[in-house]
This record gives sequence, C-alpha cells and structure tokens, in this order.
Amino acid sequence: MASLSRVTKRWTMLGAVAAVTLVVPALVGCTTDDGERLVVYSGRTENLVGPLLKEFSEESGVAIDVRYGDSADLALLIDEEGDRTPADVFISQSPGAVGYLDAAGRLSTLPDGIVERVPEGDAAADSGWVGLSGRVRTLVYNTDIVDPADLPESVLDLTAPEYAGDVALAPTNGSFQDFVTVLRHELGDDEARAWLDGMAAGDPPTFDNNTAIVEAVSRGEVPMGLVNHYYAFRARAEDPDLPVENHFFPDGDYGSTLLVTAASIVEDTDARDDAEALVEFLLSNEAQEFFSDETFEYPLAGDAQPNEELPSFDDISKTRVDLDELGGGLELTTEMIDESGLNR
Amino acid sequence: MRERAPRTLALVCAVVGALFATPLVYLAWRTLTGDEALGELYTSRATLEPLRNTLGLAAATALSTSVVGTGLAWLVTRTDVPLRRLWTALAALPLVFPSFVGALALTAAVSPGGLLDAPLGWIGLDAVRPEGFWGAWLVLTLFTTPYVLLPVAARLAALPPSLEESARLLGRQPAAVFRTVVLPQVRGAIGAGALLVFLYALSDFGVVVLLRYDTLTRAIYTNRALDRDQSVALSLLLAALAVGVVAFERAVARRHPAAQGARSTRPLQVPLGRWRWPALAAVAGWVVVALGGPLASLGVWAWRGLTGETSSLAGGDAGLGDLVAPALNTVGISLVTAVVAVAALLPLAYLTARYRARAGDLANGLVASGFALPGLVIALAVVFWSLQLPEAWGLYQSFTMLVFAYVVHMGAQSLRAAQVAVASVPRRLDESARMLGAGRTRRFATIELPLMLPGLAAGGGLVLLSTMKELPITLLTAPSGFETLTRRIWADVEAAFLAEAALASLVLVALSGVLTWVLVVRRSERLA
Repeated sequence: MASLSRVTKRWTMLGAVAAVTLVVPALVGCTTDDGERLVVYSGRTENLVGPLLKEFSEESGVAIDVRYGDSADLALLIDEEGDRTPADVFISQSPGAVGYLDAAGRLSTLPDGIVERVPEGDAAADSGWVGLSGRVRTLVYNTDIVDPADLPESVLDLTAPEYAGDVALAPTNGSFQDFVTVLRHELGDDEARAWLDGMAAGDPPTFDNNTAIVEAVSRGEVPMGLVNHYYAFRARAEDPDLPVENHFFPDGDYGSTLLVTAASIVEDTDARDDAEALVEFLLSNEAQEFFSDETFEYPLAGDAQPNEELPSFDDISKTRVDLDELGGGLELTTEMIDESGLNR
Repeated sequence: MRERAPRTLALVCAVVGALFATPLVYLAWRTLTGDEALGELYTSRATLEPLRNTLGLAAATALSTSVVGTGLAWLVTRTDVPLRRLWTALAALPLVFPSFVGALALTAAVSPGGLLDAPLGWIGLDAVRPEGFWGAWLVLTLFTTPYVLLPVAARLAALPPSLEESARLLGRQPAAVFRTVVLPQVRGAIGAGALLVFLYALSDFGVVVLLRYDTLTRAIYTNRALDRDQSVALSLLLAALAVGVVAFERAVARRHPAAQGARSTRPLQVPLGRWRWPALAAVAGWVVVALGGPLASLGVWAWRGLTGETSSLAGGDAGLGDLVAPALNTVGISLVTAVVAVAALLPLAYLTARYRARAGDLANGLVASGFALPGLVIALAVVFWSLQLPEAWGLYQSFTMLVFAYVVHMGAQSLRAAQVAVASVPRRLDESARMLGAGRTRRFATIELPLMLPGLAAGGGLVLLSTMKELPITLLTAPSGFETLTRRIWADVEAAFLAEAALASLVLVALSGVLTWVLVVRRSERLA
C-alpha cells in the first residue's frame, strides 16, 4: 500500500511539474500583436456587436482583435494605458463611459462625414463619439397582475398613490440616472427632485440593474418597473410565455427617452483609416438593420426602421440631453437620488 | 526559541512580498498624485458608514462560516454520515459561482414567486428577496463556507485519531469529544479559513452591488469613473485594512501555535448513532440551499433556452459545442495559476511558520492585501506596472501578465493553507532525518512535502476554484480573444441571454465538481 501511494504521489508531482513547464512557455509566447490588427475595446457584449465586427473583418480584410468588458472598466483601462493603448476603437454601452474618455482627452475627433449620419444630439457636441443604436426607457409590467388600462400616460404620474410601492427602480443604474438627468434638464431640479421624492414616498422595491427588475416582474414579485425596453424583448425571446410586456409612455413623454450606445476612435490609434472604416460600417444600413432586427434597438443612421413592435420615432421623447457633458451633471443627479432616500 | 531564517529563504520571501506589494504601491502613488483630500475623505460620512458596513459584514460572515464550515467538515470527515465523500465535493462547489450570476440565480430561487417559494412554504418559511445586510450576509455565507470547510476537513483528515479514540473509550459523547479534543487541534485551520472569508467579504462587490448593501467596495465600484481619485483613495484604505487585520491575526496565531501531528494511518469515524439521520439532513439541507438554490434557477433558465423555439440556444446558434474551448482555457489557466501560487508562496509559509522573522509578517500582510482588493483594482495596478516595462518584452496583455495578476489576487488563499500545513509537520521527523544524514532537498521531498500535500492541495484547490470564476482581471488583462467560461457567462448575463449564461454556468459548476473531487477530496482522503 505504502509503495503504491508513493508511486501515485510521484506521478502527481511529475504531472504538476510537466504541466507548468509545458503550458507556461506555450502561453507566454502568445502576446497581442498590435500594429497590423485593428483593436476594438467593446463595452457592448459579443451577442450585441460580435457578428457585425466579424462581418466587417470579412468584407474589408482587416483583422480585428476585440476585448469585451464593462464600458466603464474599459474606459478606465484606456485611460490607464494612455499613449501605449493597443485600442483603436472604443464601443460603449452608454454615453457616460465615452464621455469620461472624451473629457480625459483620450478620444479623437470624428470626421463630419461620420457624425452627420446620425440626428443632431445623437453624437457628442465635440464629435468625440457618435451614437450607434438606442434603447428607450419604458415601464415593464406583469400581464397577469396589471391591467394595461390602468397604466399612466406619463412617467410623471407614477408618483400617484395607486402606484405607490408597485414600481421597481434601479437607483444606482446608469440608465435610470441618465433618465433623471433628462428630467432635471427639461423640468428643472425642483420638479425632478419632487418626482424622486414622490417615488421614494411609496417605498418602492429597488434593484441593482434592469435584468434583475425584469426577472422580478416576470415571476410576479413586483407588478412593474422602470427599465430600458430591451430587457422584456430579451426575456420573451428566452421564453415566449413569460408574462412581461413593455408599456411605452406615449406622445413623446419623458418616460420614453432614448439612450444611445456609442462608438469612438481612440486618440492614440495607429490605424486611423481602418478605425474610421469600422465606425462607418457600424452606421451603414446593414449594421443598423442588425441593431433593429437582432437586438431590438432603435437604429440611428440611414434608412433602417425600428423594429415593428416598437413605437415609431414620432412617439418617443424628442429630448436629447448631452449626457456625456458631465460637468457635475451626473454627480448632482446621483446626489439628488441619494437625498430622495431611494438608495436606502 | 525560533531559529533565525536562512538568508536565501529570507531573500526569496522579500522578492515575493515585493511583487505582492505592487497594487498597494500603485494605489499609494495614485492617491498621492491625485487631488483627493485624504483626511477629509477618511473622516467623512461617505467613508465611515460604508467602512462600518464592510467591517460588520466581513466579521459576521467570518463568524457564521466558521461555525457552519467546521461543523460540516467534521461531519463529512470524521463521522459515519451517509455519502460523506459526495457531500465533501458538493459542499465545496458554491465557491465557484461568480457572485454576479450566483447571487442573481439564488435571488431568483428564494424570492417571492421563485422556484423555492413553495418548498420553503412547506417548512413554514416565507420567501424573501435577499437584500441589504442580511441578504449580503446570507449569500456570502452560503458561497464562502468552503473557505473554512476545505482547510478544516484537510486538517481533520491528517490528525491522529488516538486522542479522540481515548476520549471516546473514556465514555465521552461525540459532541464532547468534538469540543474538548477536536476543536483545539483544528483551531489554526478554522482561523485560516475565517480570515480568508473576512478578506473575501472585504473585496467582493458582486454580491453587495446586486443586493444593494453600501460597503466600501460598492463605493469604490460606483465611483470608479465618476470620481476616480476618491475610488483609488478608498481602495487604499481597504488594502491598509487588510494588512492590519492580517498582522493582528498573525500576532494572535503566534501566541497559540498550531498543534503538530503526523498523518493518521486510518481515518477515524465517530458513529453518530441516532444522530446519523438528522446529521444527514443538516448536511444535505445546506447543500440544497447553497448549491441547489442557484442550480435550480440556472437549470430552469437553461431548460427554457434548450426547449424554447425562439431562443438562440434552440436555434443552434450557440450551444455546448461553443463552450469546449472556453472550458479548456478556464481549466488550463486556473491549474497553472494554482500551481504557481502554491509554489510561489511555499517559501513564505516556511518563513512565517518556522522562523522568527518580522519581515515575514509584513510579506504576509501584503499577500493578503492582494486578496482583499477588488479584482478590478488589481487589474488596473498590473496594467500600470506592465506598462512601465519595455514594450519589446511583449509582456503587456500576455499570459504571463494574466497569471501574475491572478496570483497576486488569489495567492493569499494558498498561503494560509500552506502555513497550516508547514506548521503541522512534526519537527522531530526532520531532525531525525537530518541526524541520519539526509540533505535539505531530500528531507523536503521525502518527508515534508508528502506530509504537507493534503494542506497544499486544499490551498491550491481554493486558488483553482476562485480563478475559474474570476472576471475583472480576465476581462482587462487576458490576451485578446482568450475566452473563458466566466467571461462568457458575464457577457450573457449582461445582455440578458439567461439561457446561455445558465448553460455556461452549469458547465463551470460541473467542471469544478470534477476538479474538486479529483484534486481535493480524493486526495485528502487518500493521503490521510
């Protein structure tokens, strides 16, 4: 017995040593070779942009390396990398992250030909980034619990007593904060604060993010929640029987504000032409239709039309706030949300 | 008393300590060059309240996991509870849930309207959505108990049964034997595990962010792009906290040196008698909630995707085939990380457990600070330092850099297990061998290493499991195109492709189960 276990042990040791000596050099040899390849840092996940990058690569012959990650984390990474960044193009899920890099001087100015392809207001005022696609704020509700006839015409009416405690919110989520910034911009700080206080008075259930809210609404824990429209579409693609539905606030209500995703070119890129070609491709009809058909989002450029299950452009809010122009904007918004007590 | 450390050993440890100090130095430099008024920030309510919450949560979790982990470890290693080896492997698995998906799945299961809503009702419990302090405490306890369970089980397996046998022959009940004989001998292992839980609770932001409890990590996370200087200054505070806590723990541990003991020739089993079935219910109940809860939600999500007509899983766009490469990458890189971490920290374990060396305690604290910092901070620090090296070395975003970052973040988990292992090697064996003329290398290879292997394997196993679930370091520092399971799960959760996320999570748990069984459970039993 003793000799057997000693043999086993020796083999295990040998195995471990062999694994390290074989694997480590093999891994070490594999490094990023920037220069010939276009490097994309993408805050949009592979499901939402990967097929387009592959398509561009095949059509143009430009090899692409993609690093997927959280938009804000990637923005910090590019900032940390400074002039040694391998990144050429940065795709962001929200205006906040591109705004951070723009303010830090890490983005280059996009040519007018690119910026002019989207409506005014869907690109940065200084042409640091351009909008790619949009998600609309909406009220998701459980169809087993809520009668659509009882739903309000405006997001501002959600402070009414009959909705108290029934509307889930994500007070620390970027999309909710952006929506509050829009309210502040359009109605002034006092009315925005009054709305937040009104919502807080009903002691609503709070969550960290949109996915968690739609999940809770679909299992009936909460009747409704303020989210982006994308998530109910996704949930029903997973399971068509889920009792979740979006209620779009009509007539351009603030409750149906469009929040854009964005593309930008990094200041220290060594492949500007390819980078510009990629951003142009993402604004082409082909790519915009992908956003409309596959990711249920609003296209922003060209002839592509929104998914037919979505309200038309005329019905959603026309308001565009330069959400990347932070200048204390977001900080004041988060402060206001904290003060309302929603974060407790 | 203790001897002075050999010079080579001290030098190696100094180098290891310096490498583990890189994130701390980075944070200090960033803080000093930033324009945050430190005195004001550290005494403000915005810091003190999250700080208090962090300490309370970490202490409460360390306490609850110590109790549960020790109890489970004793039941599965030392009693005749049915299926004990199976339970050992299963009870270790909750550790492998990445907190962002584990907490989401567990919440979906135990909340009102969730899968376990009805079963909870049968035993008279109301379904409640975990939230705030209690929610974070519960979820962290469920997911981090293996940090106590594994080292304590390894220690128990290596203890000589003679004392317990004598106590039982003298008529003591199992509970009394446990309290008076077993507990004092595993105190070191419990302390080691509890410390890891404490540090883990300091660093984790997946759970506190999702369950909305305001801790330091949540402040670091929400401010990371909004107020960079503040985020960095708070990270520095967190690291300093870790160094302090570990220095304190070392001082206490030194005053109560761990019991030495050789391997037992055969494992001892305490017959539980009429307590056998209640004990089984307790072990199984724990596994059902901690592992079964998240798995139930994940199973339903995956099933939905596989059977639904419209999901991309059913459409054949994505499936198990796509997970083969990420699975192999995950296992490969995690094994390499575990072996490197154990090897890199063994010298330090020797230095601190065997010799009189204040510098060893400092290095110990530095290693712990790597574990207590959020992965995102470690990733940015490693990025910073790699960029100070010549570009021609090609280290940036290479596997070397990735493994280095992993080891800095995860190494502490193997260090404490290694210290317990080193401390439990009886010195007299070494002395006898030396008198018989065996050289240092031979003594190490033939006497000490075999004795330490169960402990080292347990520590390496912890590094392995936590590397498998690591996310921010992988996202920011891995070579581009290097796909791992956790990275895939994150992308799917982020875009709300829950079926895909669930399928990949199930693969991750299954892989971890196999590895835990092969490397930790089977090993610790055979070597016992």
